[in-house]
Amino acid sequence: MDVNDATGMSPVDAAALVQQARNRARHELTINRPVIFVSWALCYLLGYGAVWLSVRGERPYEGPAGWALALLVLLAIAALAVTAQVTDRATRGVEGLSTVQRRIYWLSLAAGWLGVIVMEGALRHQGASQGMIGVFTAASPLLVAGVVLVAVTAAWLNWYLFALGVWLIGVAGFSSFAGPEGVWGIDALAVGLPFLVMGGLVMIRDRR
Amino acid sequence: MIEDGLDPVIHSAARLRVMVTLATLKDGDSLSFTRLQNLMAFTSGNLITHLRKLEAARYVAMNKSGSGVNGVTDVSLTRTGREALDRYVAALRKLLDSAGISPPP
Repeated sequence: MDVNDATGMSPVDAAALVQQARNRARHELTINRPVIFVSWALCYLLGYGAVWLSVRGERPYEGPAGWALALLVLLAIAALAVTAQVTDRATRGVEGLSTVQRRIYWLSLAAGWLGVIVMEGALRHQGASQGMIGVFTAASPLLVAGVVLVAVTAAWLNWYLFALGVWLIGVAGFSSFAGPEGVWGIDALAVGLPFLVMGGLVMIRDRR
Repeated sequence: MIEDGLDPVIHSAARLRVMVTLATLKDGDSLSFTRLQNLMAFTSGNLITHLRKLEAARYVAMNKSGSGVNGVTDVSLTRTGREALDRYVAALRKLLDSAGISPPP
């Protein structure tokens, strides 16, 4: 069938064309969320995991080793780059409401994470212990991500992401009780594994 | 409408693809002419011809911003267009059902 032909299209051809065009448009214009979830899962599992390995058994607690922090930062940058690339591929040329919502989401996250860095500086300035700073550094970025995610799902109407946001808030709060060593390990698993599961669930849902 | 209930403005392979592609976007979103052209693999002239027919039926809206080489044309499906596509797909299913052919999911 000539797709440019304006005449002589049977209902069967038309139905097949609708299906074909819908599948192609979804493939091209939908953000590949499983890839994003997996890249952040790796960031938490390997990055937070590495920091946990470097602080495990420290008496007194002195903070993560340089190599572990560097690995965490590298993985976070890689996850951000993957997220940006995957998003750009799907949304290039798309303008409108969803673009504005996405910008607000990223600006909110950036503002929240910047606030975390400033607060960490303030805690050091006030002479907070290494242990307190360790708990704050591990848990507060998750708290920010969770709150922002919960807030934006009011616009996105996505219950999967709402549940993930609530989970992140819960993990940030409760894992803090594990102290400056345990918090890194718990967060690595309690965030990394659900992100992997989420990636799988979204992939299965999108293939239906 | 024609006898089989299929809207003749939409019932063309090229325009049907354009409509279905634009319907994938969320309400309130538009697609640049260039991206749409890349997705459709049409020539610019071919695409604009079909878009004008859809625009005349108020199924799509074209909005040009900027001028000259910096000008960008955004294309979006109107509410009327979305409803027309829904009616078209429903009519298509009815025709296939009555012929005993199961439509694609």
